[in-house]
Amino acid sequence: MLKLLGAVLLVGAGGVAGILVAREYARRPVELKSLLASIQMLETEIIYAATPLAEALERVAAVSDRSVACFFEKAAGELRSMTGCTGAEAWERSLDWYYTMNSLTRREMSILASLGRALGISGREDQAKHLRLACEQLKREIIRAEEEAARNTRMWNYLGFCASTAAAILLY
Amino acid sequence: MSLSAAGRPASRNGPGGPWPEVLAVLPAAIRNIVSAAGDDILSRVEEIRIRTLKPLMLGLDSGDVMISPDGSPAAGRGQAYTVGEEDVNRCLQLISGSSVYALEEEIRNGFITIAGGHRVGITGKAVLEGGRVKTLKYISGINIRISREVIGAAASLMPKIIDRDGKTIHHTMIFSPPRCGKTTVLRDAVRIISDGLPEYGLPGQAVGLVDERSEIAGCYQGIPQRNVGVRTDVLDGCPKAEGMIMLLRSMGPSVIATDEIGRAEDVRALEEVLNAGVRVIFTVHGSSLEELALRPALNYLFRLGVVDRYVLLGRRGRAGVVEKVFGAEDAAKTGVAKC
Repeated sequence: MLKLLGAVLLVGAGGVAGILVAREYARRPVELKSLLASIQMLETEIIYAATPLAEALERVAAVSDRSVACFFEKAAGELRSMTGCTGAEAWERSLDWYYTMNSLTRREMSILASLGRALGISGREDQAKHLRLACEQLKREIIRAEEEAARNTRMWNYLGFCASTAAAILLY
Repeated sequence: MSLSAAGRPASRNGPGGPWPEVLAVLPAAIRNIVSAAGDDILSRVEEIRIRTLKPLMLGLDSGDVMISPDGSPAAGRGQAYTVGEEDVNRCLQLISGSSVYALEEEIRNGFITIAGGHRVGITGKAVLEGGRVKTLKYISGINIRISREVIGAAASLMPKIIDRDGKTIHHTMIFSPPRCGKTTVLRDAVRIISDGLPEYGLPGQAVGLVDERSEIAGCYQGIPQRNVGVRTDVLDGCPKAEGMIMLLRSMGPSVIATDEIGRAEDVRALEEVLNAGVRVIFTVHGSSLEELALRPALNYLFRLGVVDRYVLLGRRGRAGVVEKVFGAEDAAKTGVAKC
């Protein structure tokens, strides 16, 4: 009886673990799409409205998807704090914090980090180039993340259950 | 309404004077040095000069001093804090709020106005497009001019320019060499004219202020940071000639005020305002009427004979002291003679 209970627990835990990994794969393209939309909004604020960076970040945070709004909100807060930090530093601090709570990869984070280093330090023409480059890079990452999600989501959903069931049979 | 709350000019910049806004745009290293300079120096600072690979300098009312890393005046260049490239870059970032793209026009003009109405001049390499300055790059020099609002700075001027019969002011030109307080006096005069001065029979007047360089009202994002009176409409960052005509047509002012008249188009716009029955008060760079008469645009203005008061400011003890007031006949004589 105890063995049976152990086997059920093993299969359940393995199944849940598989589902969680699959969910991470499914979450990435969604987050990347939200991020892309927010950066496109930031581009509009900077290039067409010439809104000062702190205000632009706040406006983007106000209309962004909840999963990415906190990133822009924190960056705006850092910039407004008048502690002598520059836009690049505010962006970096916010990015370091954001990295711990999302499903983005190092490569995607480095795209955001590069954009942050250029943000606000040049005229509109130059800012447009940096923002569009980041958008293009994010679009490529979205395609890649979607392919990975299509490939891995279903696999992990089954793999968790199958592997844990096999382990349970072996142990039984 | 009184000329000055305490009977004598008083600086009014809020708690901490102008320093909270100024320190906020200085990079940490320079901020610490300036903060350590001591109240005696800080109360006399008119400018902070930050030049790449040059000593950090403070422009005081008595001349400039180099500052050492501990905040004390340096005996020589060797003891002074040398400004690094990173200091200048960070300073520009802080001045612009990391929004250089939002200040392209200001950078093209060579100055940015920050919160508190302080004007920051910048120099670097000019990028030209079609023979005109498109922008500045490789910024290497920053000059933060600390704007101090002196309530009562125009106290000694007002009795000389009020037209008691007309219950308004005479057409007035304020002139002086640089750093004698023209802008400070004009700002306070605008405040008094706008609020009114009943003891001299002057009711409050609707004042249109063309503040091309954001120095008088010190507008930051469109909002005056200086007290320029309750009936003052400010046209910020607008070319003087165009601004005067715009105000005349749109805001129905009784008085139009502006700074640093000198070009032919400014005088032409001024002539139009004068002929519209609106009083004017403006400033001009120059140390004597004779010197002013050598400038063609001003010579023409002298010959028109419409300005009633020419006020020369000096710097005896403090900036903004009225040295002498000339009448229209003095200017006409000088102007015609030199023409």
